Amino acid sequence: MPSLIDDDPVEGHTDRSFDAALSELRLHLVSMGGLAIDQVATSVRALLEGDDALARLVLSRESLVNDLERTIDREAFRLIALHQPVAGDLRMAKAASRIVVELERVGDEAKKIAKFAARLASGEPQGPVRAVARFLRNMADLTAGMLREAVRALDEANPDLARGVTTRDAELDEEFAAALRQVLTLAMQDQRFFSATIDTVFALKGMERIGDHAKNIAEQVVFVASGEDLRHVKRADGSPRNSLPRRPGERE
Amino acid sequence: MQRTTEAPSAVRPARSVQESPLSNESPAKSSGTPRISVTVDDTRQVRSLNVKAAVDNVNFYYGAHRALKNLSIPIADKQVTALIGPSGCGKSTFLRCFNRMHDLQPGTRYEGSITLHPDNLNLIGPGVDPIEVRMRIGMVFQKPNPFPKSIFENVAYGLRLRGVRNRATLAEEVEKALRGAALWDEAKDRLQDSALALSGGQMQRLCIARALATTPEILLFDEPTSALDPIATAKIEELISTLRDQVTVLIVTHNMQQAARVSDYTAFMYLGELIEFDEAAKIFTNPSKKATEDYITGRYG
Repeated sequence: MPSLIDDDPVEGHTDRSFDAALSELRLHLVSMGGLAIDQVATSVRALLEGDDALARLVLSRESLVNDLERTIDREAFRLIALHQPVAGDLRMAKAASRIVVELERVGDEAKKIAKFAARLASGEPQGPVRAVARFLRNMADLTAGMLREAVRALDEANPDLARGVTTRDAELDEEFAAALRQVLTLAMQDQRFFSATIDTVFALKGMERIGDHAKNIAEQVVFVASGEDLRHVKRADGSPRNSLPRRPGERE
Repeated sequence: MQRTTEAPSAVRPARSVQESPLSNESPAKSSGTPRISVTVDDTRQVRSLNVKAAVDNVNFYYGAHRALKNLSIPIADKQVTALIGPSGCGKSTFLRCFNRMHDLQPGTRYEGSITLHPDNLNLIGPGVDPIEVRMRIGMVFQKPNPFPKSIFENVAYGLRLRGVRNRATLAEEVEKALRGAALWDEAKDRLQDSALALSGGQMQRLCIARALATTPEILLFDEPTSALDPIATAKIEELISTLRDQVTVLIVTHNMQQAARVSDYTAFMYLGELIEFDEAAKIFTNPSKKATEDYITGRYG
């Protein structure tokens, strides 16, 4: 008789089909995560390099993201109906339904950036994007990094890695604020850029949102591992957990 | 474990008891059950519960075999407590201690105490009469076991044993018990029919009515639905949920979903030991012990 209380980890469910359903769910989530990361990176590259072909690639893959969303949702739903998961399995099924929404929205943001890139390639003024290229590149690196770690944390069921992601979007917010100042200054100087400025602001905002989605995914990974709900939790000093630590003497 | 005699408000975050012995020296108020506060460790908050029975360091032996090992669990008053665990973990053995079913078997021995409140009667105390215990603790078994008598006589049996002779009183009490067991509407026109003519689910509800008729303080259920179909099972589960208004319920079940559905508190036992005790909602969403998680998620067996 296998023992429940010795140190040997208990391997898998007695019901193997339950194991298969759970690992398939996780596998599809991670694949979707990988695709979302690539959509983000590719759309930003298309934007910065004015590459129409890359923009079209992102747009053509949007349906793959959507298909994965539907597949994963269906799988999580079936898992609940057929296997009645409890405890960690239940948390996984619930988190999967939530993560899939976050990833789909990441895909949407990438799609919007790609559409903007396509417009730039077909003649929209490039001034505003050029003005914030450095910020866009930084933000793309930050968001892709956060997403990558969140998805890796999901793949490895690693709550510590996930916790790291949940505190990292403050840096992103600072980049966003700085880029916004830059692009608005330019818009005030030259009104021909009005439409391109709005598009650029949306692209920047999109990057900032992708960081939020990565953080939300990481929070779900922590929830799966420990049942802890990190959403909207503040630090002991009352500052939001995702902000930079307050400096001594600094007020809210 | 911390304990205070003061009763924190019920709205405090719900938490649990485990691991440490729950001693029964807390002052029993003559008017009701004592309120004790229990907590697991520093990270969990204190929760107070009204304790109908305090199980303290109970050991039970079949001859030389120690089947229960230092069990300490509070049984919350007018709540449903479920005992879960793999076959042979001791959950039925434990349940049977409550009404001294083991006394019928030679070579068995109890240690520790199960203190029934409010009068601090140790159910397994050596000087305590098992007949008195069984008058106060009712039991419903896995297979419905009605007497080969009429429906009415099945329910009236315990009352007659207690010396109730008045026909009107008997009729009144039988109706009350049958209503309490959600069987009245189906049985009221055939009270004199043989109980054996009932369906399995009805027989089981009759057994519950029979147990309820003598107004027990604790009702023990030993896998009460394992011989029933899903509809009869649902009726019994619904009944158990309503019973908690009048009686403390302790149920052994192999059906994890059933424990999740009907119980307020759940105790997970393994190899004669208590592994984890907590609110059912906690056990089934985020148990503290890995062994509990492995068992309830089906990673064992």
